[in-house]
Amino acid sequence: MALVVPFGQYVPGTSPVHTLDARMKLLLVAAYVAALFLVDGWLGLLFATALLIVGYRVAHIPLRLGARGLKPIVIILAFTFLANTLTFSADLAGSIGAETATDFIPLIGSFGIRPLGALRGLYFALRIVLLVSVTSLLTFSTSIVALSDALTQLMRPLAALRVPTEDIAMMFTIALRFIPLTAEEAEKIMVAQSARGAVFDAGGPLRRARAWVPVLVPLFVSLFRRADALAGAMETRCYRGRGRTHLRVSTLSGAHLAAGLIGALVLVAGGIVL
Amino acid sequence: MLVFDHTSFSYTDANGTHAATPAPKEAGRWAPRRADGAPDVEDCEGAGVSDVDACEGAGAPDVGGCEGAGATLCDINLSLAPGERVVLLGANGSGKSTLARLANGLLLPEAGSVSVDGLHTSLRSAIREVRTRVGVVAQDPDNQIVSATVLDDVAFGVENLGLPRQQIAQRCALVLEAVGLAGFEERDPNTLSGGEKQRLVIAGILAMEPTYLVFDEPTSMLDPEGRAEVEALIDSLHRGGHGILHITHDLTYAQTADRVAVLDEGHLVYDGPPAALFGDEAALERWGLVCAKDAPGDTPARPESRERGRGPGRGPGRGPGAEPGRQSAQTRESESEPGRRSAQTREPGAEPGREPEQSAFELHLSRISYTYAAQTAYAHEALRDVSLIVEPGSYTFLSGRSGSGKSTLLRIAAGLLAPSSGEACFCSGGSGSARMPDRPLPKTLPITPGTVGLVFQNPESQLFAATVAQDILFGPQNLGLLQKSGVPTAQGSRPRARGRERERERERGTGIFAQGSRPRARGRDDDEGPALVHYALEAVGLEPKRFAERSPFSLSGGEMRRVALACVLAMRPHFLLLDEPTAGLDARGRAFVHALLARLLAEGTGIVVVSHDRDEFAPRAHRHLMLREGVLWPS
Repeated sequence: MALVVPFGQYVPGTSPVHTLDARMKLLLVAAYVAALFLVDGWLGLLFATALLIVGYRVAHIPLRLGARGLKPIVIILAFTFLANTLTFSADLAGSIGAETATDFIPLIGSFGIRPLGALRGLYFALRIVLLVSVTSLLTFSTSIVALSDALTQLMRPLAALRVPTEDIAMMFTIALRFIPLTAEEAEKIMVAQSARGAVFDAGGPLRRARAWVPVLVPLFVSLFRRADALAGAMETRCYRGRGRTHLRVSTLSGAHLAAGLIGALVLVAGGIVL
Repeated sequence: MLVFDHTSFSYTDANGTHAATPAPKEAGRWAPRRADGAPDVEDCEGAGVSDVDACEGAGAPDVGGCEGAGATLCDINLSLAPGERVVLLGANGSGKSTLARLANGLLLPEAGSVSVDGLHTSLRSAIREVRTRVGVVAQDPDNQIVSATVLDDVAFGVENLGLPRQQIAQRCALVLEAVGLAGFEERDPNTLSGGEKQRLVIAGILAMEPTYLVFDEPTSMLDPEGRAEVEALIDSLHRGGHGILHITHDLTYAQTADRVAVLDEGHLVYDGPPAALFGDEAALERWGLVCAKDAPGDTPARPESRERGRGPGRGPGRGPGAEPGRQSAQTRESESEPGRRSAQTREPGAEPGREPEQSAFELHLSRISYTYAAQTAYAHEALRDVSLIVEPGSYTFLSGRSGSGKSTLLRIAAGLLAPSSGEACFCSGGSGSARMPDRPLPKTLPITPGTVGLVFQNPESQLFAATVAQDILFGPQNLGLLQKSGVPTAQGSRPRARGRERERERERGTGIFAQGSRPRARGRDDDEGPALVHYALEAVGLEPKRFAERSPFSLSGGEMRRVALACVLAMRPHFLLLDEPTAGLDARGRAFVHALLARLLAEGTGIVVVSHDRDEFAPRAHRHLMLREGVLWPS
C-alpha cells in the first residue's frame, strides 16, 4: 500500500529544541534525569516541572501530546500513589517515615490512610511523570534517524575496546529502514490469512497464540529472503563492515557543545543544591 | 569485457552434496532444482508440473554435458563489451538470476570462470575491483536500499570504498542528477514511488562508477510509469557507454537490444542478433519464451459468456445490469434449471459431478468510500464513492497506478475491511430498477471469508504449513467446511459458527450456498479433506499424489504459486479477486494462470483481476475499469 505508516512519534519542527544536536539532547536528558533523583523536596521537583513545561513550550509541542505518552504508565502511577497512601498497620505507618503515628486515619481496623504518605506518593508519581515526559520530549523533537546517529556517534569511542561499532550502527540503520516494511508485510499476510478464514481475536490465550503461526511463519520466511537479497545488494556495493569513510561528518558546533555542557552542569548542580 | 568462459554453477546443500535432483521421470524433462528451496520465483522452474492447461511438452530437453550434475548453469560462454547492450531471456528457473549473481562474484563458478577486464571473480584480492566495475541491480528495490535517507543510500557504496568525503559528495550530486533524483537528498526512501526507489538503487551503483551494469528484471515490481522511468534511464546509461546486460521477460523490449542471449534450463541456447531469434517461432516456444496455446481470445469462457448475455466483452462503460430484462431472465433460468445450465456451461474436462456455481448472488459494492487514519494528520482518502457489481461468471479487469486504492478496494470486496461509508454485500438478482416485478425484494448477505477468495500479489508468501495438504485445508477448516477430517483443526469459535450457518443455509436451500457447490458426497465425510486437497491440486495442474505431502517450502517458485492458488480454490469461492496474478511468471506460467481463470469463469466464478498490465488482461476480460486516485472510471 502506498500509505506510509507514521513511525516513531517525531513531530517535525524548527525550534531550538529540534535543532539542538541530538547528542547534546541525549546528554541533557541524562542530566535532567540525574537531577530528578538528586533533588530532595518539593521545591526542586516543582522547579523541574516548570523547566520541562518551558521545554515543551519552546519546542512548540502541545502538552497534551506529552500527556498521551503517560497512558501506558497510569497503572504504575496509581500503584505508586496508593502504596504510599494506604497502610494496613497504624504502627507501621510511623516506622516508615519520620511521620508520627498520629499520621493515620483508620478506615477498617488497622487499615487506613496516611495523609503524609499520600503526599509522598504524589511526589514519587510526579517524578515518574517527569521522567517519562522528558524522554517523550526527546523523541517528539528528534527524528529516529538523528537519534540513532547520535547513539552510534556516542558509541564510537568504544571501537577502541574492539566493539564492532560500524556493524552495530549498520544494524540500527537497517532495522529502522525495515521496521515499516515488515509491519506492512505482516499486515498483508494477516489480511491474506483472514481471507482464508483465520481469526486472530477469538478463543483463549493458547488459541490466540496459535492463530499467529500462519502469520509468523511466512513473515520469517520473507525476512530471511529479504536478508539474503539485502546482503547481496550490500556486497555488490562492497560493504565489509570496516574501512568505511563517511559522507556526513558529525561536526559539533561550539555553541551546541557549550549549550549541552553548561545545561547539563546547571541541571546536576541544581539537583544537588535543591 | 565481462566474460563468462565455460561457466558452470550448481546450488549445493550444506553437506556439499548435490541436493538438486533431476526432475522425476514422468515429467520427461531434465530440470535443475534449487537446492536451498528458497521461494524465489526467478530461480524456479516450471518443470515437474503437469502443464495440462498450457504448453504441455513445450520445452524439449536439451541435455548437455552437465547431465545429472543438477547444474543450475551449464557451460555458459557469454561476453559483454563496454557500450554494448545484451538482453538475456529465459523461462523461470532457467538460471538468469544465478548468472547475474555470478557476474560480480556474489556467487563463484564451479567450473570455468567469470572475468571482468581480465580480473577473475574467484580471485579474492580482486573482488573489490570486480564489484566496482560490475554493478548488479536486482528486482525488488526495497531489498537493495540500505539507508534512511536518499543521500546516505547513494553514498553507501562510495563510503565502503573508503573515498575521501569531498569525492563522495561530488559523486552523489552527480549521480542524483543523472537519475533525476536531485532535490530528493533528505527524503526517506520509504516515501518514494517504486520507480524512484529503483532509480535510487541505480544511483547507488552508478556512484561507484562501474563499466558494466547487470539489471536483473529491474522493472518487474514497478507500475507502467515506474517501468518507463527506469527503462529510459537504462537507455541513457547505454548511450553513455556502459556495457549493459539486461535480464527481462519483455520480448518487445528485447527486440531493441544489440544482442539477445537465451537461457533454457541452465544452457545458453542462443546468442545473436534479435532479428534471427524472433523470426524463429518454434525456438521461442521451445525455450518457453512464448506460449502459443495462449493466444488472446483463445480462452474458452468468452464466447460462452457472451452467449449468456451478461454484457461481457463490450468494453468499458457497459456494466452488468445494462440489459436488465435479459439478465434477470437468465438468472431465473439458472435458478430453476440448474442441471441444464450446468450441462451447458461445463467445460470439457472439468471435474465431473461438480455443479457449476451458478449462484444467483452478485457481489455488490455500492458507493464505497474509505479513508485511512481518519481524523488524524495522516488522513488519506483511498476510495471515493466507488460502485461496482460483479456477477457470477463475469471477468472484470481493474487497472490503476500504485496507490490508486486498488488494494483497499480488494480488501473491502473480500469483506476484510469495513468501508468508511457505503455498503459491500452479496445481493440476489439485478440491481435497483433491474428487478422484475414478480420477484421478491433482493436478499442481501454479508460477505464472509471463503465466499470471496482473495489472491494477493506473490501469494506464495502466505504458505506456512508443514505439508501442502495442510496448507490447502487451512482455509476450509477455518470456515468449518470440513465435517470430519483426519487433520486436527485449529479453528476459532466464530468460523465454526459461520460454517454451521452455511450448513443451515444449504439445508434450507437458501442463501448463496444453497446449490451445493462443493465436491462433497454425503456419507463420505471422512474422505472430505483428502478429496478437497485432490480437487484443489488438480485444479492448479499439480499431481496430488506427488505434491500433497511435500513441504511447501521445498517447491520451486512456480509450484508455490500454484499451491497458493490451490489454497484459495479449496474454499470453493464464488468470487475470486486476484492482485497481479502473473507477476514474475514466464510465458508458460502466465498461460497457466489464464487457462485457470478461463476454467473458473466457465464454472461460474466471478473474477476480478487487478493489474498494471493492460495488454495482458484487457483483451481477456469482459470489461476494463480504471481506478484513479480512489475514483472508479468509467463510473
